[in-house]
Amino acid sequence: MSRLLPRPLRLVLAVAAKDLRLELRSRTALVSALVFAALVLVVFNFARDPTAVSATDLAPSVLWVTLAFASMVALNRAFHAERENAALDGLLLAPVPREGLYLGKLLANLAFVGVVEAVTLPLFVLFFNVDLGPALAGVVAVAVLATVGFVAVGTLFSAMAVRTRFAELMLPVLLLPFMVPPLIGAAQVTARLLAGRPLSELAGWLRLLALYDVVFVTLSTLIFPAVVDE
Amino acid sequence: MTGTGSAVITPEAARAVIRRGLAISAVALLGVAAVYVLALGFTPTEARQGLAQKIFYLHVPAAWGAMLAFSLVGIVSALYLWLHDPRLDLFAESSAEVGLAFSAVMLTTGPIWAKPIWGTWWTWDARLTLTLFLFFLFVGYRALRAAVGDRAERARYSAVVGIMGLLLVPFVHVSVYLFRTLHPQPVVLKPSAPSLPWEMLRTLLVSTAAFTLLYVGFVTTRYGIGLLAETKGGDDAA
Amino acid sequence: MPPEPPRNAPYMIAAYLVTAIILLAYAWSLWRRSRAE
Repeated sequence: MSRLLPRPLRLVLAVAAKDLRLELRSRTALVSALVFAALVLVVFNFARDPTAVSATDLAPSVLWVTLAFASMVALNRAFHAERENAALDGLLLAPVPREGLYLGKLLANLAFVGVVEAVTLPLFVLFFNVDLGPALAGVVAVAVLATVGFVAVGTLFSAMAVRTRFAELMLPVLLLPFMVPPLIGAAQVTARLLAGRPLSELAGWLRLLALYDVVFVTLSTLIFPAVVDE
Repeated sequence: MTGTGSAVITPEAARAVIRRGLAISAVALLGVAAVYVLALGFTPTEARQGLAQKIFYLHVPAAWGAMLAFSLVGIVSALYLWLHDPRLDLFAESSAEVGLAFSAVMLTTGPIWAKPIWGTWWTWDARLTLTLFLFFLFVGYRALRAAVGDRAERARYSAVVGIMGLLLVPFVHVSVYLFRTLHPQPVVLKPSAPSLPWEMLRTLLVSTAAFTLLYVGFVTTRYGIGLLAETKGGDDAA
Repeated sequence: MPPEPPRNAPYMIAAYLVTAIILLAYAWSLWRRSRAE
C-alpha cells in the first residue's frame, strides 16, 4: 500500500480491495447479475407490442427497472460470499474503524454494481435501438448519482439482512422503498435526456439526487457501527 | 442477559399498564363513535363534492396518526441507539404495530375517497404515495423484527431501519412533488377548499383528537402486552 | 341555480364501515392478546 495515502484511506481501500478480490474469485454474483439484466431486457422487449408502443417511450423505465433489480441481485450475492467465508467476523476482530469498513464495502459494491451497469447499458442500447448520442454523458452522470444512493443504503441493509432468516427476501423488502427516490429521479432525467432536453433543465432532479446521496452515505456510515457491534 | 437499564417489572405492573391502555382505548373508540355521529349528522355536506367528502374526517386523522406513529418509531429508535434502553425498543415496536393499523385505514379510505373525487382509485399524488410508502416501511420493519432471533440484535437492526425510514420520508415527498409539478393530473372535482368553514374544521379537530387518543391507548396497551410477555421470560417475537 | 351535489353516499358508507372494522378488529386483537398472557 502506498505510504503517500493517509492511513484511514489506506484501510478503506484495503477493505474494498479484499471484497472485490473475494467477489471476483467466485464470480457467481457478477455473472448472475449480468445474466439477470440481459434476461430482463429480453423479456421487456417481447412484452410490448412494437406497433403500439415505441421503444423510446418505454426506454427509461425499462433501463431503470433492469438496473434496479440487477443491482439488488448483485448486492445480495456480494454479502453471501462474505457470510459463507465468515469474513466479516475476522474483519471485526481487527482494529479497523467500523466506518472505514463500511466505506470500503461501499466502494467495492459500487465498483461491482458499476460493472453490471456498464455492461447493461450497451446491451440496452443494442436491444432497444436507442440513440443515446449526446445524451450519453448525462445518462452516465445520473446513473452514477442514483447508484451511489441506493448502493449506500443497500450496503448497510445487506449487512443486516445477511444475518437474518430469509435473507434473500429481507434485502428487497427493506431496500425497495429506499430505492424509489433515486429511481424516480434517474428515470425522469433519462427520459428527458433521451427527449433531447438539456441537462440544465434537470437541475432540480440532479440536486435532489445529490442531496439524497450526501444524506444517506453520511447516515449509513455513521449508523454502520451499530449494525456490526454488539 | 443483554439490555441493562431495564427495571425488573412484575406481571401485576404490566397488567396495570394493559388495563390503563385498554381503558384509554375504550374512551377513544367512544370518541371516534361520537365523531361518526358528528360528521354524519351534524356537519354540513360539501356542496360540490357531496357526501363522499366526509371521508376526509376519517382519512386525515388516520394519516396524522400513522405519521405520528412513524415519526415516534424513528425518534425513539435514535434514542435507543444512544441509550440502549430496551424499553425504548419496546415502545418503537408498539408504535410500529399501531402505525400499521392506522396505515391500513389510510390505505383503504384513501382510494375510496379518491374514486369519487378524483375519478380514479389511485393517483400518485403526494398523499397517497406517502401512504403506500409508510405502509411498506412499517411492513418491512415488522418483517425484520420477525426475522431476527436475538433480542438485542433485533432492537439494534430495527432502530437502524426506523431512523433510515424517517429520513426517507422527506425525499419521497419532494420526489413526488417534483414529479407532479411536471405532470399535472386531471382533477374531476377540486378537493377541500382552502379555508374550511367552522363546522367542518371543528369536526376535523375533534376527530384528530379522538384518533390521537386512540393512538395513545393502543400503544399503551401494546406496550403493556410486551412488558407482560417479557415477565414470562419468553422472547416476545412480534 | 347551484348544481346538485354528486350522489356518492355509497363511498362514504364504505369508508366509514371499513375504518370501523379495522379499528375495532385491532382493538379486539389487543384485548385477546392481553387475555392470553
